[in-house]
Amino acid sequence: MDSKFIQTIIFAVSIAGAGFPASAIAKPLSYPGGTMVMQENDETGHTLSLDYTVTPKYAVAIYAKKESGGDDYTTVGPQINTLIKRWNLPDGQGNIFNLTGIGVSHEGSDNEFAAWTSLLADYETRRIFVSYEPRIMYAGGIDKSFSQRGRVGFAPYLANYEDLNTWFMVQVDHHPKKDDTFVVTPLVRLFYKTTLVEAGYSSNDHLMFNWQLQF
Amino acid sequence: MRKLLLTFMALIVFSGSAYAETIKASVNGLVCAFCATAIEKTFKAQPAVETIKVDLETKLVTITTKPDQNLDDETVKKLITDAGYTITGITREETNEPAE
Repeated sequence: MDSKFIQTIIFAVSIAGAGFPASAIAKPLSYPGGTMVMQENDETGHTLSLDYTVTPKYAVAIYAKKESGGDDYTTVGPQINTLIKRWNLPDGQGNIFNLTGIGVSHEGSDNEFAAWTSLLADYETRRIFVSYEPRIMYAGGIDKSFSQRGRVGFAPYLANYEDLNTWFMVQVDHHPKKDDTFVVTPLVRLFYKTTLVEAGYSSNDHLMFNWQLQF
Repeated sequence: MRKLLLTFMALIVFSGSAYAETIKASVNGLVCAFCATAIEKTFKAQPAVETIKVDLETKLVTITTKPDQNLDDETVKKLITDAGYTITGITREETNEPAE
């Protein structure tokens, strides 16, 4: 199939689904000079981020999230994504990233200083994917919380660069301060060259829809 | 006279040719299309690069230079490292390309 056609289809589906609830995505760094736009809609809320990779180890981002499923509030601020360690192996790659930001959280008439940090560890081959991300959020009187997310996935076929890549994954979220403490979300990830979309349905009955574009 | 004519023809042929190079780099860490994109975009930004192909199956990055242009091993290694991957070997092959 024509590559532009596939990208157009994925992009159109992404835009159409952007208003639905959905969750977490790929690596928070691309290549020096590269830009990524990511949107996540899941049972924890709606997230939008714009990342620009400055060096092979650092990216700067603008991060915004509207939380739901517990304390419903909005956070906006700059974020720095750092590659702490990478292992390039003959048949796989492992990474540890740190994502840290500061900004403002808003709930009703209350505005509070906010800060957040997470470690993201992943390992993938062309066949399997595993990731784990513990996260701390501080937003003054609005929220002080710890949450964690894990993912496992497998590719039903080995796709090359020119192919549509398909993954079946399961995401587990643990967020003690939300209404549903443990949530499991089976999902399908599709990506083609620089466009990624994910769709799933969570154990607490929310649609997940995420997308990412690289430029 | 015949020899002179042949020499003259040979001069025309060789003056109209230039050497391009095909560089094959073996790379560790190539597991997904996003990895391939990073390497592709990094090399496409180089003026000396004519084509770039990334093969996830063989873990090979194949770069063809423009006629009479070159990318030395150190540059290839740096570009792949800067894109976030590890180079494990480089082979080169010279090709005779008609000059533009």
